[in-house]
Amino acid sequence: MNLPYYPGCTLKANASHFEDSAIKAMEILGHQLVEMKDWVCCGTVFSQTDDDLMLHLASIRNLLRAKEQGFDELVTLCSMCYNTLNRSKAFIDSDPDNLKKVTDFMYRENIEYDQDIQVYHLFNILKDRIKYETIEKLVHNPLKSLRLGAYYGCLLVRPKEFAIDDFEEPTIIEDFLRILGAEAIDYPYKLECCGAYQTLTQKDVSVKRCYEILNSAKKANCDAIVTSCPLCAYNLDFLQKEIEKEYVGFVNIPVFYFTELLALALGHTWEASWSELHAVDPLPLLKDKQLI
Amino acid sequence: MKRFEPKIVCFLCKWCTYAGADLAGTSRLKYPANGIVIKTLCSSRIDSEHILHAFARGSDGIFIGGCHPGDCHYQTGNYKTKRRIVLLKRVLEQMGINPDRLRLEWISASEGNKFARQMTDFTEQIRALGPIPKYDRKEDISNG
Amino acid sequence: MKRIGVFICHCGVNIKDTVDVELLTEQLENYPGVVHIENYMFMCSDPGQNQIKAAIEENKLDGVVIAACSPTLHESTFQNVIEEMGINKYQLEIANIREQCSWVHNDKEEATRKANLIIKTALEKLRLNESLSPVSSPMTKRVMVIGGGIAGIQAALDIADGGYEVLLVEKKPSIGGHMIQLSETFPTLDCSQCILTPKMVQLAKHKNIKLYVNSEVEKVEGFVGNFTAKINRKPQYVNPDICTMCGDCIDNCPVVVPSEYDEGLSWRKAIYVPFPQAIPATFTIDTENCLGFDPIACGECRKACKPEAINYDKKPETFEEKIGAIILATGYDLYPVEKMAEYGYGKFPDVLNGLQFERILSATGPTGGKMLRPSDGKIPKEIVFIQCSGSRDPERHNSYCSKICCMYSLKHAKLYKHKVHDGQPYIFYIDIRSGGKRYEEFIQQAVSEDGVIYIRGKVAKIYKEDDKMIVHGMDTLTGKKIEIKADLVVLAQSMIPSEGVNKLIQNLKLSTDEHGFLNEAHPKLRPLESIQSGFYLTGAAQGPKDIPDSVAQASGAAAKVLALMSQQEIYHEPIIAWVDEEKCSGCGICISTCPYGARALNFDGIAEVNEVLCEGCGACISACPSSASQQRNLTDDQINNMIDIILQDNLENSLEKEDMI
Repeated sequence: MNLPYYPGCTLKANASHFEDSAIKAMEILGHQLVEMKDWVCCGTVFSQTDDDLMLHLASIRNLLRAKEQGFDELVTLCSMCYNTLNRSKAFIDSDPDNLKKVTDFMYRENIEYDQDIQVYHLFNILKDRIKYETIEKLVHNPLKSLRLGAYYGCLLVRPKEFAIDDFEEPTIIEDFLRILGAEAIDYPYKLECCGAYQTLTQKDVSVKRCYEILNSAKKANCDAIVTSCPLCAYNLDFLQKEIEKEYVGFVNIPVFYFTELLALALGHTWEASWSELHAVDPLPLLKDKQLI
Repeated sequence: MKRFEPKIVCFLCKWCTYAGADLAGTSRLKYPANGIVIKTLCSSRIDSEHILHAFARGSDGIFIGGCHPGDCHYQTGNYKTKRRIVLLKRVLEQMGINPDRLRLEWISASEGNKFARQMTDFTEQIRALGPIPKYDRKEDISNG
Repeated sequence: MKRIGVFICHCGVNIKDTVDVELLTEQLENYPGVVHIENYMFMCSDPGQNQIKAAIEENKLDGVVIAACSPTLHESTFQNVIEEMGINKYQLEIANIREQCSWVHNDKEEATRKANLIIKTALEKLRLNESLSPVSSPMTKRVMVIGGGIAGIQAALDIADGGYEVLLVEKKPSIGGHMIQLSETFPTLDCSQCILTPKMVQLAKHKNIKLYVNSEVEKVEGFVGNFTAKINRKPQYVNPDICTMCGDCIDNCPVVVPSEYDEGLSWRKAIYVPFPQAIPATFTIDTENCLGFDPIACGECRKACKPEAINYDKKPETFEEKIGAIILATGYDLYPVEKMAEYGYGKFPDVLNGLQFERILSATGPTGGKMLRPSDGKIPKEIVFIQCSGSRDPERHNSYCSKICCMYSLKHAKLYKHKVHDGQPYIFYIDIRSGGKRYEEFIQQAVSEDGVIYIRGKVAKIYKEDDKMIVHGMDTLTGKKIEIKADLVVLAQSMIPSEGVNKLIQNLKLSTDEHGFLNEAHPKLRPLESIQSGFYLTGAAQGPKDIPDSVAQASGAAAKVLALMSQQEIYHEPIIAWVDEEKCSGCGICISTCPYGARALNFDGIAEVNEVLCEGCGACISACPSSASQQRNLTDDQINNMIDIILQDNLENSLEKEDMI
């Protein structure tokens, strides 16, 4: 089955291994991620404090593009794109005034916005459409003895209107990790913010937050952390260099994207190019657990 | 020329609005004498048929007074009235009767002021609307 | 046709100045049915009343219209007058021409015209009035109290002291409720058990009180004054007359289960006494956990019992009791921490609810009154108390305020400080609600003398790290994030209606609010009774309440019941609904409309009215699609006749109107 796919910027730049692993994993599951044409940034990089309208424009344009191409749904791998697209949709679906504000900017578009298009995270598809039970049967390389900490961050579960699961106590990632054969470890900081874009302007804030999250996971004896947001993945992975400087004795911990583990568990070989895009090399851990 | 004096039938619940109307009296407030009161124990006693009957007989306006939401002596009677009146107003519209001729208000036993104000206001509103269209009145009456 | 007399009062000048009473008399003289009409200065005065009596006698009147002040003032006066003359009091109508006519209009012509119509509507109504007598039924002078907590105990004692027989039905093996679990009570810090146990003993010894423990009310049928209740009693399996309370059975019982009395913080056996001061003071076998009534499976307690007081063959019993009124004192439970992800789903041993902490504070508790935490028995040096846990949280939990938590959290902090002098209590709060006698002083004293630190904000998360509970919160006054490494956390859990009570409430057909608390008949003016006659409410069953409020409400409800019990028969206004069986189609719309449960279908499928339960609102009558339901003395015909007479004038003047248009 073909799934209309909205990649978002990060997956086309320094997180291409997330996309690569997702496409390959989905192929094994019998689904094609068909990238939509002419997509633009989801809009999340516009600061809401400066202008709370701009970010919606980009999102809505993406939905118009999708409609032009005959899609009634979009799938994204990125928690932030998922969140932004859905929030913009809710922003104009809930209030005709907002709809007018946004469509006033769309005078050059050939078609009009309607509410029919749905935006899903790949987790929605895995859990509700393909079903975890089906995936479990296709796992050839179970991630045995891998102790993984699910990291949700903010955007997958907040605000609660767009939460993919219970917003206080989600289990969708843990359930996913269990069907892949891994051990899902609960730890207190799994819902805390990683610092997000503060990493650009106030790096020390993000460094502190990431240290707390990673440390909390390590105290719970996690071998690695799994996330579904490229920005969280970046912060948690690439800031470890700074954390090492700041917090003496800190030992690195690998950070996986959920699609990488899905591909690996489904029997796809771990690709060298994936490792290259990680700051903390996950290979020693995977070798140690005899998964590659 | 004589001023049009509308005929208004008022249904007041015994516990709140009737007592409010008494208070308007003890406070010596003044309001037009167009409304004649029929006292019921609860506003929910008032059947749509009574209202239609009154309109058919040429009532220019009908006023219903009940207890405030949550204060009904019979727990939920006023909610029932509210629902009934909302629906009935739609029916009135279809029958060619301006739904503004039917007014439902919550007036408590302590709101003599509000009762007098409502009576004045409603009478003036009905006066402005003019007499109820009487196309079927004679026929209806001759039929009995 | 009725022979009607019309009496128009001048009320001194109050009516006469605005309404032309002479003209009125003239106008109505020949109105159909009117055989006598007169006006007088003061109808309500002795001479006025005598004039009415004389006119009744002289003209053989069988109906009277008094045109005077509002019926709220003198309706009963004039009813007495006509009753004295042998006329049924429902053959009187008051035409309110003072409050609703002469006092509110200036124009004499207008007012006279209106008064004329008011009197005519009264005449039209009176024409079809039936003679009615009050509905009456005998009164069963016994009361059932459901629930043996402080509210139920107080109500039962008050009624029993008033001389009426009381049945107290308690689900658990002992009375005492939650109050018996408490350590000391705010704001006076007197020992809860010390003030409660004398009442329990008094109750057990009271000659007018019959105690049903281990029992539940399965069904109640009938109506006020005439209820029949079906009570199921689970056997205790231990004969209290033979049992010597030696305790050998407990020593030999192999089954260990968490103790309800200690809120799961200690253990009890499957054969047990709920707590040392339990009333009745007997052993009970807990059938859910007992290894078996099959003596082959266990039978250890029976073997150990020298007086042979244990009998496994006892069966549950059902009793039918006749009662006249029912008091509901079903109390509360705490909102389960298991529903709260943010506070760890009850997984952490060092996160306690308020009642568990009461047990730790109590001298009869699992630690013998020593301040020790459950996980490792260490003395907690820092305790975080979290108020509004599960309350005032419409998004995830309960929207309402549980009312007692501000006070008891502070009491906990204070009692903790009395035991651990170098300890530090923190209280997270949203607002401090200390309305109540000496409550605010209690709070101020704790802050200034006991060093309780209040933090305004809600705790977002609790988790365990090493042997500490990490409490993440926000101080909303400084806007700072707060992290406290606490040794113990106490959650002031929301109060909810007690477990299983909704089934009882459904069986009794009582109404509750959206949270399951019983609804009172009127939120301000009838707070002690249910809208269903004969049911009274006390304590936390009606809403979160502390001990003083529960006791006050219990005594209040008892007083209401005593007033009811003092009547030989129950009389009831007869202005109620009745059904024309010929017209009734049995659709049952009236049943769903009736707020009193007074409507039901009979065996023939015809809707009936329970005359005792019907309050006469008339909602069923307007809802009846076939006009089979009518209200006595306010029938559809009467209303329509009144409408017609009001508008008749209109028809006469219609020509004038046409000219205008």
